[in-house]
Amino acid sequence: MATTATLTLASSDIAGDPVNVTKVATLTKADSTNDLDQSSGLNRVHLRSTTQKTLLSASATNRTPGDNKAGKVYLINKSDDASLYVTVSINAQTVGKLYGGDFLFIPWSQTDASANIKVAATNWTSSTGDIPIEYALFHEDQDFLTNA
Amino acid sequence: MATTNATIGLTSDITDSSLSVSNTTQLNTAGTTTGVNTMTSVTKVLSSTSQADLIATGSVSTTHAYVYINNPSTDETKYFKITIGDHTGGEVEELGRLYAGDFMFFPWDVDDDITCVPSSSDDMTIEYMVFS
Repeated sequence: MATTATLTLASSDIAGDPVNVTKVATLTKADSTNDLDQSSGLNRVHLRSTTQKTLLSASATNRTPGDNKAGKVYLINKSDDASLYVTVSINAQTVGKLYGGDFLFIPWSQTDASANIKVAATNWTSSTGDIPIEYALFHEDQDFLTNA
Repeated sequence: MATTNATIGLTSDITDSSLSVSNTTQLNTAGTTTGVNTMTSVTKVLSSTSQADLIATGSVSTTHAYVYINNPSTDETKYFKITIGDHTGGEVEELGRLYAGDFMFFPWDVDDDITCVPSSSDDMTIEYMVFS
């Protein structure tokens, strides 16, 4: 079983010459050529509050902080409104804002017990409507996901 | 204004019913439909397991950017810890470990530096692009 991630970055006019970068990665376990073998599947939730929510919980009880385990997170803001954003944080550290249509794909190592991935629909109001997000986790450790 | 598109494809047969996801987004300035117009592309070779300041906030003049980082190694034991936070030795948060052949792509609020820690003191190459 294999999971493949492909990213293409393309622009015809951000530089004097066209830019076209394509990267393909087969997702493997830590320090290994063996494929990742577990997945949360694709999930969809609607955010309708500015309150920060924990999307993926780091394991405080089933793993030893600092374990060298591989995990990858895909997260996308499915809003059609380019101004509506979701603030993504790990623990207390803000990573960035996913505006409508934007996605991220990052490794997630859960190297401390507080390394939860959190989201907040920061500029949501009752008139903006829900902000739908979709996410998936690919990982190797059966205890990686405590809220599964 | 430039037009820059990022497309991701994910395919997986881990589950009984296979997963296939594809999405494209235009890289825009914060909250607009105006495309980003600045790109930086860098390749670095690191030769120490010390924390390295990979992308400094001072290198970007906005508060919203998109970052692509790639570990082109083919040696599965060579990875980078990718961290974000105070690069001067203070508190940092590890996002994750970029193993050989892995990439990451994410929006960055340009509030703290992006740093990395190589797993080996052998020469290790890391590549990144920043769009802002």
